Amino acid sequence: MNKLTVGIADMKMARDEGVLITYALGSCIGICLYDPFIRLGALVHVMLPLNMEANRTSPLKYADTGIRLTISKMEQRGARRSRLVAKIAGGAKMFDVAGNGSLGSIGQRNIDSVHQVLQQERVRLLREDVGGRSARTLLFDVATGEGCIKVVGKAEKIL
Amino acid sequence: MNLRKYEEMNSQQIDALREVGSIGTGNAATALSALLGCEVRIPLPEVQVLEFNDAVEKLGGFETVSAGIISSLSGEINGLMLALVQLDAINLILKHIMGKQIVSYDDLTELEDSAVIEVGNILISSFVNALSGLSGVKIVPSVPQLTIDMQGAIITVPMAAYGNQSDYIMLIGGSFLVEGKELPCRLLLAPDVRSLNYLLHRLGIDG
Repeated sequence: MNKLTVGIADMKMARDEGVLITYALGSCIGICLYDPFIRLGALVHVMLPLNMEANRTSPLKYADTGIRLTISKMEQRGARRSRLVAKIAGGAKMFDVAGNGSLGSIGQRNIDSVHQVLQQERVRLLREDVGGRSARTLLFDVATGEGCIKVVGKAEKIL
Repeated sequence: MNLRKYEEMNSQQIDALREVGSIGTGNAATALSALLGCEVRIPLPEVQVLEFNDAVEKLGGFETVSAGIISSLSGEINGLMLALVQLDAINLILKHIMGKQIVSYDDLTELEDSAVIEVGNILISSFVNALSGLSGVKIVPSVPQLTIDMQGAIITVPMAAYGNQSDYIMLIGGSFLVEGKELPCRLLLAPDVRSLNYLLHRLGIDG
């Protein structure tokens, strides 16, 4: 089967078949977007909640611009916004760093931002596995729209 | 000239940071020798500025499980410093300090955790002291925190902290030589860009 790896601040798309994988999501979030009608799926791996960059060199690094860019690329390949659904995973808190409160909350801020952007873009969030303290590897099977989550020392979980 | 991003550093500036790294790891070797009660040597470390995904690959891949020890830096600069230690290095430490070995990270109890944190602490504070001593900039590392998980997720912590400023991170890599065994020790430094400029200025290499 065709496997595509999605890096940090990266997005991959596949149609009909193929598995999109992103490894070791910590505070980052993996967003699976899917048009089941034409079986077009995309996985985007975002790191930060909001794009405040003046020159916007890496839109896929941020939840807001990352999701919007992915949706528009999917639309270019025939997806319809009204049919799009989403599944998300990530947003963990990896450390409690003393004296650096903003660092510990980055996962939660990412979750909040992804929720907000999906709502603004009117994409229905089907399932999520977010928060907690563990890293997740996320697999997204474009043939079925099914997600799978791997955590160290735990059984695989269907998303 | 002020840098806007890490990746704008020139080779002279990277060389200077390598020199800082070399003094830092030298200090770390001395401190570790005292802690472990045996000779520890560290060959010249390498300093690299790497794109996020390249940095994770360089460190052995996203899903490799590692112990990460992180400390936030304050004082005259802001930043984060992360040390990555793997199971064979942990076993070497435990053998010398406690006379025991573990099979997996799950076997670490609170007491052993604190030994691992201490080693991370030595790595971080040795580098910070060298940097602070050479630049005359006051740097205060916070009490270090430990987490054990896929290293891809651990490494993104310092990246995310200043990820709105850069797509790159500074990797200070070296290996400890203990009893003929080579143990990789990696430090990741993420200062905010203003702090990096200040450090380079105080080191006299701001171009």
